[in-house]
Amino acid sequence: MFRSTSLRLAAFYTAAFALSVVVLGAITLLTTRATLKQQFDARIDSEAAALAQEFRTEGLSGVVQAVGERDRTPGALDYGLDGPDGAAIAGRLAGSRAAPGWSTLRLSTAHGPEAIRVLTTTLPGGYALRIGDDDARNDALEQTVVAGFGWAFAGVVVLGILGGLGLSYGVHRRLNAMSAAAEAIINGDFSRRIPVRGPTSGSGRGGGDDLDRLAATFNRMLDRIALLMESLRQVSNDVAHDLRTPLTRLRQRLEASRTARTAPERMAAISGALEDVDAILDTFAALLRISQIEGGARRTAFRPVDLTALARAVVGDFAPSAEDAGQRLTLEAGEPLAVDGDPELLTQMLVNLVENALRHAGDRARVTVRVAAEGGGAVVAVADDGPGVPPAERERVFDRFYRLERSRSTPGSGLGLALVAAVARLHGATVTLADAAPGLDVRVAFASLVRGATLGFLNVADSASSARMA
Amino acid sequence: MKLLVVEDDKEAGAYLKRALNQAGHTVDHVADGREGLLLAAAESYDVIVLDRMLPKMDGLAIVRTIRASGVKTPVLLLTALGGIDDRVEGLEAGGDDYLVKPFAIAELVARVNALARRPPTQYAPTALQVADLKLDRLARTVTRAGDRIELQPREFQLLEYLMRHAGRVVTRTMLLESVWDYHFDPKTNIVETHMSRLRAKIDRGRAQELIHTVRGAGYCLREGA
Repeated sequence: MFRSTSLRLAAFYTAAFALSVVVLGAITLLTTRATLKQQFDARIDSEAAALAQEFRTEGLSGVVQAVGERDRTPGALDYGLDGPDGAAIAGRLAGSRAAPGWSTLRLSTAHGPEAIRVLTTTLPGGYALRIGDDDARNDALEQTVVAGFGWAFAGVVVLGILGGLGLSYGVHRRLNAMSAAAEAIINGDFSRRIPVRGPTSGSGRGGGDDLDRLAATFNRMLDRIALLMESLRQVSNDVAHDLRTPLTRLRQRLEASRTARTAPERMAAISGALEDVDAILDTFAALLRISQIEGGARRTAFRPVDLTALARAVVGDFAPSAEDAGQRLTLEAGEPLAVDGDPELLTQMLVNLVENALRHAGDRARVTVRVAAEGGGAVVAVADDGPGVPPAERERVFDRFYRLERSRSTPGSGLGLALVAAVARLHGATVTLADAAPGLDVRVAFASLVRGATLGFLNVADSASSARMA
Repeated sequence: MKLLVVEDDKEAGAYLKRALNQAGHTVDHVADGREGLLLAAAESYDVIVLDRMLPKMDGLAIVRTIRASGVKTPVLLLTALGGIDDRVEGLEAGGDDYLVKPFAIAELVARVNALARRPPTQYAPTALQVADLKLDRLARTVTRAGDRIELQPREFQLLEYLMRHAGRVVTRTMLLESVWDYHFDPKTNIVETHMSRLRAKIDRGRAQELIHTVRGAGYCLREGA
């Protein structure tokens, strides 16, 4: 418990407050004492001056009378008047033989010994006038002050310790809860999350304090890790599943080549086996590429890429093949629109979209590639007039190896759109599938454009590998 | 040609050596990176085929070392690393071409042939000529027997690449990488389509065909059959 940060902090603050109380008390005590002494002396001084005045106007008898009257008044000062020979004339303090000036007299009274602070002044004719008061009254006041501060000190210490214990218990409990959650996750319970008090909005700003915000941030991190792990698990499953089919076929062909009776039969089986191997390798290459893109390392290669020029090049490259197949591939694009990106990956993304449209839209399909500015960004869309994708399956077509039921007979690995989604994600672009009525409209929307002088250096065909063989 | 093959996998190395021998080359094969470095620096080879992952020494380090010591022999890097960054890294280290394992042996042979330095007289920076086919890179014009031939930009690039490698086999992948700058394999037959259009413009109605299909390997632009 003493290794708890919050407790140590609370102890430190308690000590600091207690020390402040002590210092404050000492200062108060000293000032009180000085003020009281000053007031005491001033009161006696003015009384002495008043009686000296009485002596001058009324003479000795006036003073004697005054002293006698005041001495009998309860709570008044103590008085004494001595003759020039030192003989007591009137008052309690008479006959004490104190020298002129301030002195302290010790009297024994019915209540016990009493210390009295006395001012002795000499009146004309050698009479000595003594005026004093009990010092204990000041002491009582001082004791009250000291006692007050003593209670305050005790209060601060008690409150500090209780507060510190309470605070550190609260923090300790929450940190323990976080620790426990982390331990549980380490031990394999990946669904565990750190408890967060108060409402948490999507942005991760907890309704609670800084600890809650920390917990919410950790939870979002855990969500992300869980998502990545889930996708990794999914991919491993998919790979194991989807490679089983071509591997089975490959095995059959190799078996067939072993039992083939004639050389052409054997050659056909071997050629088929080679094709199967190539198809498997293609799948591997696509998977590796997707995981590399999802790793995000390619962002360092980003530079301005003119989507219009890129689309023009891709349409130019694929239009002849489409034409030969009785399809039409056209471009709708205007001014240059540059986004920050990886030209090689963006090209592959568009190629995948175009190939996907040409492959699935049918024999006489018309495929249109559109590039347009939209909402401060740019949209690249590939629309076809084929059978489209049912709304329920639109999200799933971006999953690895996902293929529509009717596409199972057409060639393809089911990785084309997964790669499109990965490239789009890397570029912070969103991919949406819409109904082109009839057909499918795949839109990739980039949030922002690159403007300025760099446009002159835009290029599409010239990628990073300029050092390639001549 | 005299080739050096540095490949640590004994079986793969022996297979490469046999295939390159069959293609008419003399081949030195070593399995060790350090030995490969010594041979590459000491002997005069036409092309070095270098596995990127070698025991004791990284293939990239070998390329850097021999380039630093002034050896200009073309290097073809073989690798199991097919990432985009890996390719760029390999080329930046001083490799001249990059081939991802596994590959068809015809692809390797074609690339080795393409890498070999050609005699300087055959190569002029602005004009290329094969038989009666002329290509002017500056004016961007193509003529055959004096007749002007109009080509699309990609067809022009394709023809230029074929003419610069005249007499040698170029594979579909080499064309995709060099002409289209596609470092992935599109499923569409865009190479075949563009090639057939180019052929129609260059060879149709001519007595001698210049563009030839090499079965199982690729294309070759050359005089005669």
